[in-house]
Amino acid sequence: MATKPSKLRSGKPLTRFGALKTRFGAFFVDWALWGYVAYAVVYLLNRYWYTEIYFYGRLTVPTWGWPIVILGTLELAVISHAFAQSIGLSAFGLRVLTQDYQYPSRAARLRRYLWWHVSLLSLPITLFGSGLNNQLLHDQMSKTGMFRIKDVKDEMPVSTPRAWYKTNRGVVAVLLIALTIWVGGLVTQINISALIDRAPKTAYMWKALVTPDFTHLFALDPELAVNANPDLPASIFSGLLQSLFMALLATVLGGIIAFPLSFLGARNMMGFSSLGWAIYWVMRGFFNIVRSIESLLWGIIFAIWVGFGPFAGVLALSVHTIAALGKLYSEQVEGIDPGPLEAMASSGARRWQVIMYGVIPQVVPSFLAFTLYRWDINLRMATVISLVGGGGIGRLLFYYKGQVGRIPNAWNQVAAVIAVIVVVVWLLDYLSGRVREKIN
Amino acid sequence: MQDNYHAGFMTDNPDFGKRFQAIRGRSLVFLTDVIALSYLWTLASYCWNRFALGIGSYATLPWWVMLIVAVELAAVWENFGVSLGMRLLGLRLSSRGEKSGIATHILRYIVWHIAPLSLISFFFSSQQAPWHDRLTHLYAVSAAEVEEKRGPWYHTSWKNALALIAGITVLTAFGVTDVNLYALFTRASRTGRIWVRLLNPDFSLLGSGFRLLIVTIYMALMATIFAIVIAVPLSFLAARNLAQGVIGHAIYTIVRVVISVTRSIDAIIWAIIFLVWVRVGAFPGVLALFVHSIADLTKLYSERLESIDPGPVEAIRAAGGNRLQVILYGIVPQIINPYLSFTLYRWDINVRMATIIGIVGGGGIGQSLYQYMKVSDYRSAGMMMLLIVITVWSIDYLSARLRARLN
Repeated sequence: MATKPSKLRSGKPLTRFGALKTRFGAFFVDWALWGYVAYAVVYLLNRYWYTEIYFYGRLTVPTWGWPIVILGTLELAVISHAFAQSIGLSAFGLRVLTQDYQYPSRAARLRRYLWWHVSLLSLPITLFGSGLNNQLLHDQMSKTGMFRIKDVKDEMPVSTPRAWYKTNRGVVAVLLIALTIWVGGLVTQINISALIDRAPKTAYMWKALVTPDFTHLFALDPELAVNANPDLPASIFSGLLQSLFMALLATVLGGIIAFPLSFLGARNMMGFSSLGWAIYWVMRGFFNIVRSIESLLWGIIFAIWVGFGPFAGVLALSVHTIAALGKLYSEQVEGIDPGPLEAMASSGARRWQVIMYGVIPQVVPSFLAFTLYRWDINLRMATVISLVGGGGIGRLLFYYKGQVGRIPNAWNQVAAVIAVIVVVVWLLDYLSGRVREKIN
Repeated sequence: MQDNYHAGFMTDNPDFGKRFQAIRGRSLVFLTDVIALSYLWTLASYCWNRFALGIGSYATLPWWVMLIVAVELAAVWENFGVSLGMRLLGLRLSSRGEKSGIATHILRYIVWHIAPLSLISFFFSSQQAPWHDRLTHLYAVSAAEVEEKRGPWYHTSWKNALALIAGITVLTAFGVTDVNLYALFTRASRTGRIWVRLLNPDFSLLGSGFRLLIVTIYMALMATIFAIVIAVPLSFLAARNLAQGVIGHAIYTIVRVVISVTRSIDAIIWAIIFLVWVRVGAFPGVLALFVHSIADLTKLYSERLESIDPGPVEAIRAAGGNRLQVILYGIVPQIINPYLSFTLYRWDINVRMATIIGIVGGGGIGQSLYQYMKVSDYRSAGMMMLLIVITVWSIDYLSARLRARLN
């Protein structure tokens, strides 16, 4: 039983630098989780204890509270590390065991926990000095170590699987979800009684929404003519055509621009020099930043730039499409089979020839599938982008919504627009799904 | 019995099915060509009206003129070249080895106009070919029988037509969406000021922006958590392979239709409806995301259920397991990881959606971003955008990493 660990091939305890990455990772996961619990507790204390509540739950903690929160969460993370298989340890596949791969006793765990504090203080010595037999201080003093579960699976005592509600992780996860629902319900002002109490008042709206009024489907709407609203589509159908063409144009323009950019954003195409790597990182950053800003937010900017109208919508959708397709395309380029490329390169082909005849034929089908998928998304977005001045069928939707209370059947008109959107979006979704299936 | 009569006394049993097939193929080819040409005509007249006359109308001539022209053009196209419909449905003209020149094609085009009369011979003649084929000995045959001449793409009429259709569609799109490159370039300087301010965020708003961000993340989180609770049981009802009996299939159809319709309505439109219901705040935003997430997650979940391995299910059923045990031990272990992965993906999308749902008044960081934009306070808007970018990026990264581990 008491064999020296160094003589075993597998199951070496994690030591020094090699250990630190995963150890720190696991520790920070636990610390962050306890930090989240602390946030929730402080929020709840503020909410139920203080009479004065700031807008959107600004947290008030006394000055001496901050050190307590920080040190307290730190201690809790260490305790959960030492005494239990915490979420952080599980996430990184680590396990605290004695040096002969048994579960440590309570006393050993306590020693480990206490020595950890000394170890933290002496960390520089441990790391850069000769080290205590290559082990961290608290490992050494408590005769325990942190092991990768996959390394020591065979030596570990076989544990009988327990029901999830009896494991440490299961209980903590349930508590975290419960806490999240509690705090989240307060933060997002969830008000079930309003939902129920006001339901009868919305009956007229639901009644109108299920009886759409299609009189303006193709015909000119006299109401709109009276209002002399030149930027409103003449009918639901012409609004629909506008949205369809907006989505089409954005996808075509976005695809054409994203195609060359995707090669600049692919690791295996650009990793030939430091300049190439620089371009790669710039493209990656561009794709990620532009993609993070939804096309509706881009719509606000372009509505200021080129004025309200479908053109602003096209530009907003195009910009988002370039980034989204660029990322998807470049991931495809990175995932290609390098075999043919190497064969071509070794037979003296130039770089552009390799791309032209080796890369492009491999990626075209998946590029097409992604582009179709994107067209689908763009159509969905083109139906609502008029909210920020982007034109399309949504212009009528929000116009009629604004007329609620002024014209008697406004909700029926809204329902007609929604019905048309549903049919077209569903149809395109179905068609693009079928075509994508064929391509793959 | 038939053998007792002399040859020619009785004809063969008419094979209506085969003749119908031939007619159906030809009609579809013709229909495709007429639709393609009408589309081309409509868009071309739109472009003419839009760019030459400055009016946004799709029609110049009465619709019946367009139809006659399209029909005649389709006839010419099908008689003198390989039309789009012929290419798509695999038909070619062939003289079957006999000599045929341009005159034959002209003759066939003229005789083509009596083609509808061939419908009479559908019942009385054993010949499958219509009269214009038989009179000119120029038959429409399956593409496999004919050797294709290879040439550059612009020598092939259907490829030309496709290029024309694509080109004119993009041109029409330019017209319909009021593309105004002049404004794009001349007004760029107007936005210079805005860009400068957007890129110089007002960091004094970091605290309040962060609190709004917490609201946004919680909106996505609440919508996702509550949606799982509904979507998981619904997905079992919406899986074709688990639907049993008439009632099961009826439920399957109803659930599928409802989630398709719900999914097609964007979360922003849902937010408008819920704003009427529960008034302003983050709650209508949560409800909108919740409803859209239910539909989306049910679709993703049930598609996964439809592709499970039936082996374990049958094994448990054979060992005498009841329906609950089959689900618990045969199905759940197969779907738990994909379900988690889909949920993470949906949470990622919900965070993105939550940042824009504020535009209609759904609360969170999007709402104040939109308000700052409205009052032209671009430095504050820039701060909100910065926070959105960081959050969306990191959650995207986190969820991608976790999903990669789950798969």
